[in-house]
Amino acid sequence: MKEGLLLVLFLIVLTSICDTINQLFLKSAINSLGVSLSANLIKIIQFIFRLARLPRVWIGFLFSVLSLCIWLIVLSQADLNFAFSVDSMHYIFIALASQMILKEKVGFRRWLGTIFIIIGIVVVSLS
Amino acid sequence: MIKKKLTLNILLFLVFSDILETFTHFCFKKSALVGSGPDIKSFADVLFFLRVAFLSPFLWLGLFSVLLTFIIWSTILSKIDLSVAVPIASFSYILVPLVSIIYLHERISMLRWIGILIILSGVIFVCLSSKEKESLLQ
Repeated sequence: MKEGLLLVLFLIVLTSICDTINQLFLKSAINSLGVSLSANLIKIIQFIFRLARLPRVWIGFLFSVLSLCIWLIVLSQADLNFAFSVDSMHYIFIALASQMILKEKVGFRRWLGTIFIIIGIVVVSLS
Repeated sequence: MIKKKLTLNILLFLVFSDILETFTHFCFKKSALVGSGPDIKSFADVLFFLRVAFLSPFLWLGLFSVLLTFIIWSTILSKIDLSVAVPIASFSYILVPLVSIIYLHERISMLRWIGILIILSGVIFVCLSSKEKESLLQ
């Protein structure tokens, strides 16, 4: 039983990492286009078509499919509440990756907010 | 220079993308329920399950909703930092219980309310961090 739990934990970490990689690829593709959109539907559609031509977006998409598959395996093995609370750690991965790879400035308030959200999710999931 | 400021518009977009994502899960769950018959034991069972699921309109509604979510999410990311967008998207942890109270008349325990408040304060901190940066730039 202990071994099964470790496997589930490992899978949840894996799905979080895949999800983070997906977001990183998507965000870096969007950054490379360097546009700031206004609420203009035609502009948004043009932007999506330009985005869809970037290989990075599709690599990200593959990771998101992978993440979904692993998540389905997790849900078939573990309790949803437990899975959700462990999965909330992906907020840390996102914050770290944004800071290190995308060079976003993650300041004190943002870290504090992120940690609050994780604690909140764990409380909600376990209650 | 791309402005990275969090406006009310983007916040509304984020909430909308959250609602859409919840809707996607709902559709996929519905289509999976249609397809669920006996236990899946072999690969042929998997194929059968998928065939039935793909015939369900809910699956297509779900896939359409995935596409729409992708468009909205990309638009959001073109405006703000990833480390802001993802934490704020945790709003769904608040939305889902609220919807359950209003539409399903579920009771929410004290502990869950506390959790919701903690998430909400976290989201507020992250929102503030984005404003902080904006004022530094100006």
